[in-house]
Amino acid sequence: MSNSTNMNALSQAEMERFQKLSNEFEPDVHGPLVSTKQSSHSIALEYANADPILATKTNDLAVTHPTTRVMKGDGNCGWRAVAFGYFETLFTMRDQLHVQQELIRIKSLNSYLDRVGLQEHLYEVFVDATEEIFAQTSQAIHNGDQDESFLVNAFNEEYSSQAIITHFRLLTSAWMKLNPERYEAYLTMPLDQYCATRIEPVRTEIDEVGLQALVDGVIKVSGIGVEILYLDRSEGEHVTPHILTDSRPSQATIRLLYRPGHYDILYRAEPTVNMTPMVNLQYDMSSNLTPWDQGALNFDVSSHLMSIPNLMADPGFGMGAPMSPMSPMPPVSPAPASPFRVSPPQEMYPSPMQSHVSSHAQSHASIPSIPVSSPPPVMPSAAPPPMTSLPSRSSDGPQIRLNPLVMKPNLSHSLPVSPPFKK
Amino acid sequence: MGSQKRIAKELHELVESPPEGITVKLADEDNLYEWRVFMDGPEGSPYQNGKFQIKLVLPTEYPFKPPTVSFATKIYHPNVTNDDKGSMCLGMLRPDEWKPSSKIGAVLQFARQLLAEPMPDDAIEGRIAEQYKNDRKHYDEVAREWTRKHAS
Repeated sequence: MSNSTNMNALSQAEMERFQKLSNEFEPDVHGPLVSTKQSSHSIALEYANADPILATKTNDLAVTHPTTRVMKGDGNCGWRAVAFGYFETLFTMRDQLHVQQELIRIKSLNSYLDRVGLQEHLYEVFVDATEEIFAQTSQAIHNGDQDESFLVNAFNEEYSSQAIITHFRLLTSAWMKLNPERYEAYLTMPLDQYCATRIEPVRTEIDEVGLQALVDGVIKVSGIGVEILYLDRSEGEHVTPHILTDSRPSQATIRLLYRPGHYDILYRAEPTVNMTPMVNLQYDMSSNLTPWDQGALNFDVSSHLMSIPNLMADPGFGMGAPMSPMSPMPPVSPAPASPFRVSPPQEMYPSPMQSHVSSHAQSHASIPSIPVSSPPPVMPSAAPPPMTSLPSRSSDGPQIRLNPLVMKPNLSHSLPVSPPFKK
Repeated sequence: MGSQKRIAKELHELVESPPEGITVKLADEDNLYEWRVFMDGPEGSPYQNGKFQIKLVLPTEYPFKPPTVSFATKIYHPNVTNDDKGSMCLGMLRPDEWKPSSKIGAVLQFARQLLAEPMPDDAIEGRIAEQYKNDRKHYDEVAREWTRKHAS
């Protein structure tokens, strides 16, 4: 039902009241740095008496993404949401080998820091803190811990939380300095100044360019996807999703809810129900197979399963679909479907392992500005979110927040095709 | 705790290879968080030939909050409070501009540079800043006089 988002029907007074309610959204500055999981209905309740568009979208959100995790609005929320989501996802995947690979990879990124001239004794304590969380994650998987409370505790500890966030900030800054051609066009100031004033200082909230760089430089290679859901006043009944890691298929995805100036984490409803028929198909067919032709059939089946990753990327995926009466399968992670991936991961950027090696090779011969690899191709599919469509977060222009006159009507549900960011 | 490890290394580096005109030591051997700094007035400035003692205190949240810098030696300067605290708080020393990757050595060099080139537009002592901008000759005289009286 399209709750008839008929703005014309709203009186001037009502519009002003809704705008006021939107503008008055204040992120929580009191609670814990990272909350426990809670029902997304709390978000819907915040908007129950607000603009019908926001009320509709948040009600919808509570169905598609029934749980959320609130980040303290202390200027670190976006950074903390991504860092927490990264470790939580690693824990949820429960793949010890992957955790170890990620630890090695993240530590190898020290080479970025070295190449932009940071002294090790200034950054090693941050890396130590990150390493400690890796160790705790690994231990929790080993112990078979059922929940992620160890992570919630660690991220609520001021020192380790700050240290991990600082580590990620420094990696992002170094990554941007080493790949300036990807970001420069989107900045309103020289890149070095941007890093010094918008990325590295404590408690500076992440913006769209910084978030894209954090994902590009630190998260993406892990195979973990990052998706943002924008709660804005654009047309439609769903929050507007945007995937920041769209150039490669993701084994699991961190989902962030963005409201002006603030990020929280969202958790999607388990897609189990909708996966089941497909999986059953595969199982049914496989079970009738003689071994010699299994491979061939797998291939055939794959053409059906091809759609899964794409379906998974669709936020509206199956939410309206009826519950299958025969869903005997336990939750099936999309990850094992990897043989059926649409395409292999694309190496958009130098693998950090490679750059580590090459940085050693050139460490004496080159200056930091020499790129390790050719500039990353700026493909449309890798484009960062169109900034023109994003609400401004400048505090001196409060009216821009969720202002229907300013917001673009809609962000496409598909990949962005417009020029990324602002020109 | 990570911050102690880092402070110890920063101290070691500053003792081993001190920046020009700056020497540091711990105020108390058992406390890594309070330093005593001796700073030579930069040549060509009215603080030349002065030896200024500075108290540098690291917050327990270091390196996520900046050190605080205060002049124990009285100094006539637009960016240092003209009271018994002698505080200096601008630029990289501001909590909202502080970067956890900044080092204490850079903080001290920043402070010494500020003696050579005050920032009157960011002054804490407006009257001295006015004088610095409009009547440099008298500013120099007073600053030199204070240096002679308090810093030598």
